[in-house]
Amino acid sequence: MIQTENLTYQYKKGTAIFSFPNITLEKGENLLILGASGIGKTTLLHLLAGLLKPVTGKIYINEVALNSLKNNKLDTFRGENIGLVFQKKHAIQSLNVFDNLKARLLFSNALVTDKKIEIVLAQLGLSELKRNKVSELSEGQLQRLGIALSVIHNPQVILADEPTSSLDDKNCKIVIKLLKNQAKQTNANLIVITHDHRIKACFQNSITL
Amino acid sequence: MNIWNISLQNIKSKPLYTFLSVFIASLSIALLLGTQQLKRSFENQIENNLGKIDVVVGAKGSPLQLVLASVLHLDNPTGNISYKEALKISKNPLIKSAVPISYGDNYKGYRIVGTTHEYPTLYSAELQKGHRVENAMEVILGNSVAQKLNLKIGDTLLSAHGLVENSIEVHDLLLTVVGILKPTQKVIDRLILTNLESIWNLHDHEGHNDIKSIDEKEITSLLIRFKSPRGLLTFPRRINERTNMQAALPKYELHKLYEYTSVGFKTISLIAYLILVISCITLFISLYKMVKERAFDLAILRTYGASNFQLIKMVFYEGFIVVFSSFLLGFLLLKIGLRFALYFMKSNNQQNILTALSFQDVLQIAMLILIMVIISVSFAIYPIIKMDVSKILSNEK
Repeated sequence: MIQTENLTYQYKKGTAIFSFPNITLEKGENLLILGASGIGKTTLLHLLAGLLKPVTGKIYINEVALNSLKNNKLDTFRGENIGLVFQKKHAIQSLNVFDNLKARLLFSNALVTDKKIEIVLAQLGLSELKRNKVSELSEGQLQRLGIALSVIHNPQVILADEPTSSLDDKNCKIVIKLLKNQAKQTNANLIVITHDHRIKACFQNSITL
Repeated sequence: MNIWNISLQNIKSKPLYTFLSVFIASLSIALLLGTQQLKRSFENQIENNLGKIDVVVGAKGSPLQLVLASVLHLDNPTGNISYKEALKISKNPLIKSAVPISYGDNYKGYRIVGTTHEYPTLYSAELQKGHRVENAMEVILGNSVAQKLNLKIGDTLLSAHGLVENSIEVHDLLLTVVGILKPTQKVIDRLILTNLESIWNLHDHEGHNDIKSIDEKEITSLLIRFKSPRGLLTFPRRINERTNMQAALPKYELHKLYEYTSVGFKTISLIAYLILVISCITLFISLYKMVKERAFDLAILRTYGASNFQLIKMVFYEGFIVVFSSFLLGFLLLKIGLRFALYFMKSNNQQNILTALSFQDVLQIAMLILIMVIISVSFAIYPIIKMDVSKILSNEK
């Protein structure tokens, strides 16, 4: 579960202050956050991932206050509890598909067997490509690898930043479906931020910034 | 999968940069190790060839020449001294042993040295085959001479006048091989030893036919060993002041020689260090570029839960892998390079015995290289320390 209270963020002194509505999600609940470019969507996502520190306010993930975690503990917490999906780039260029998933698990204590990796790859239709380099994948395949990377360690929260904006309608639907399925399997919270209105219908919960 | 693995994959994914870094670094390492080894070998050769000789007594002239000629057998002698005089000074109570040597002939470029049974003991040389020289016109061979010229016991040879190979002034008396010495890695390996009588015989035969009386007999020099270092204090001065001979101290002369030649070694070492600095810069550039180019990869690793420290470790491993392979390649280059160099420089009079590098020398250079990795890495990781994960991730387009 995830909970935020009075979050605000400011990039530099004297610039605009972003303030965000409170969010409360029970275990397994999904949320779509819509908003135009520059409104602070990604900022909110990075706050939730602990990549940015809020100026004011608090974030709880499974009742752990992110503010209370320092440096390495925050890194480890992020590695174990949060899965991030990006828009275009997803994986480490020098590693192949399978090794990327192994690398994803390297810094967390999650106990995930190679068999589990194979299963996730199969679910996302990447089994054939597991020895391929990341640069050899198509955009759709990359996006699916991004999803695999965000769920492989059974995170509490999956945060997706514009996961569909570079995809066509067909792939857009597939990606959202896969994300929701994977989140459901691990009973994780899925938060998608986007300006892509195509996917609004896929979510029951949504807020607009 | 571990951090090493990621580093290795990173390196593999940029073969050109890796090759360049490894190549330059290995070149400088090979050069550093090479100069060190040659220097050591040179020092060792000199040290070895001094044998147990404290002082050389010979005709007046350059003391360095006397030492080079009579101890290392590299130069021409300064002249001859009277055998009678030599015997007289040999009686000095400070002297433990005085070995007369007389030379001026060669066989295929190898010097024929007339001396006594004591000469091989100066170099702790023992017979491998055959027996000592008992009669005139018998010779024993240094090990390399026997090897290179493929001579066996019972073979005969005709000596040529002078110290350089020639076929014009050949003596007509046959010398017979009666023994072969064990290899010593010292100068004696490339000498042909006989007794003084043989040398005198050869030359009497040439000139006037009557056998010289002891008053007229000459030798080239006298190799002296003292009972105690006390001899070094008074003996040489007495010889230099009171006789028409000179006494040269091999250790001192060769040390002087070494001082002259070390300029060359210093220059090469300097060049090697310079290349090392360049390779350090290359390594830094390639690591820095990797860190910059893969900013997004590194940011992703941070979202995977990697700490800054773990990313730094990854970069350090990359540097280490590059430098370690450079070290191995450098070693290989050195081995091959030296072999080639020796192969091309091989001449009969040159001694090509290399001393293996001591662990200490290698360690010293390894430490230097480690410092180099640490410096390059510490500069290259600066972007990691300054990394703003959020900013890199939001600029992904």
